[in-house]
Amino acid sequence: MDIYSVLIRDFPFLLKGLGVAVILLVALLIIGFVLGMAICLVQLYGPRTRLVQWPLIMYERVFRGVPIIIMLFIFYYGVSGIYDISAFAAAILAMGLRSAAYQSQIFRSAFKSVPAGQMMAARAMGMSRLKAIRYIVFPQAARHAIGPWTNEFSSEIKETSLAYVIGVVELTRQAHYIITSTQGNVLLVFAVVALLYFILNRTGNSLLYALERKLAVPGFEK
Amino acid sequence: MKGMTSSLLRSASLAAVALVGSGLATTASAQDPYTVGVEASFPPWAYVESGEFKGIAIDAMNAIADEMGIEIEFQDMPFPSLIPALAAEKIDILATGLTVTEERSEAIDFTIPWWETNDVVLVPEDSEANVFTAVCCGARIGVQGGSSQQAWMEENVVNNDIDVELATYESYVTAVDDMAIGRISSVIVDDTSAQEYINAGKPIRMAGKIYIRAPLALAVSKGDPQDLLASLNQGITAIDESGQWQEIIEQYIPGITPPAIPGNMPDFVDTYNKPVAGLPELGNE
Repeated sequence: MDIYSVLIRDFPFLLKGLGVAVILLVALLIIGFVLGMAICLVQLYGPRTRLVQWPLIMYERVFRGVPIIIMLFIFYYGVSGIYDISAFAAAILAMGLRSAAYQSQIFRSAFKSVPAGQMMAARAMGMSRLKAIRYIVFPQAARHAIGPWTNEFSSEIKETSLAYVIGVVELTRQAHYIITSTQGNVLLVFAVVALLYFILNRTGNSLLYALERKLAVPGFEK
Repeated sequence: MKGMTSSLLRSASLAAVALVGSGLATTASAQDPYTVGVEASFPPWAYVESGEFKGIAIDAMNAIADEMGIEIEFQDMPFPSLIPALAAEKIDILATGLTVTEERSEAIDFTIPWWETNDVVLVPEDSEANVFTAVCCGARIGVQGGSSQQAWMEENVVNNDIDVELATYESYVTAVDDMAIGRISSVIVDDTSAQEYINAGKPIRMAGKIYIRAPLALAVSKGDPQDLLASLNQGITAIDESGQWQEIIEQYIPGITPPAIPGNMPDFVDTYNKPVAGLPELGNE
């Protein structure tokens, strides 16, 4: 059986691996989004006491400063002492928490780029702080955030391939199966896998850019 | 804009809650099948073809599980992660082409050996190197990271001031391919795998053999917390006596005579001391 027939026969398994990668990606981005947004809001508008701010700074420094492969091992083996965590959950958690650290900084810079006068004006009009953030600052910050967020999206797609070090069988691992069971063909199999990652990346980024265009206010800021 | 962002936020947080709820709650209970860790890119011991686990270790482990009357499920992991996973009890049994070494026996407990391998030095087909010139004098030698071949090379060659450089790979298949490109000059691999690569038509030849009589065995977590060792040992003997073992071997490595079971049992492994779990008549004094 030549490698092309093997590739066609096993293509569904590559797609299955791609599916696992996509679920991992979506889950980690959601955790990162929710947590990252919360961190950003507390950093900017929360109490300014050290008790609140320092742990957030610590969190962000640690998760941005440690290689993801180490984080995967720590979450898989470390957490299992307390709770019997599955490899998939450990991967989502490790990568999601790390993404939160990055996303919090993306959001922070986006919020910071909204002129301070906007907030003052909103407060002067009688809006509460919460309302001003929600209706005045957030919509403008969201527009600024999409661009840098596409970077986070692209790099996280590629990082999902590391999850297999703790036994998550995603796209890269499925490709390994084909390579080892056929004793070679590294170049061809990885070329196909690279194409799949590229398509996923392009699709996601196109959607994000479409959203950016949709949210853009004509004649404003461009 | 208002409506869209708020609904986006709401659905994102809902999805996160749902994920945390479903994804994280995978606590194992006693009735669950035992998890057998394998490195599924290690033919002929374990590999995946068309989404199905195959190989000597897979088929033999299924036969042993039948003998023992237990349910098993396979979990693939890269080789360097398997022993830590077993030590941390993330998997219950390790079944792959696992070589018995002293260092490993301190972290995990081995069953009786079911195979014995020697290492070979692979060189490109057109290379003129022999077994000695292939592992000295500035040679760059490929091994799989964390493998017994790496340990052997470090102990016997690198630490003896012989001028070689070890290149570690995640898998032997990539090491052999890298040798074909010319990035490394030789690859040290066990004889069973080497025969596979040659049978598959790779442009390589064996420059020579290193007789190490390395036993291969299954393993369980240190101290045998699941109480599996005795029945695994009996299961190995049972499939050997029933002839199932020989059939499995013949299917994956045609023409080879399997070594006797149990194989060479080194003194340094404490589970090989008399009495061996499940097989009290065996063992070192």
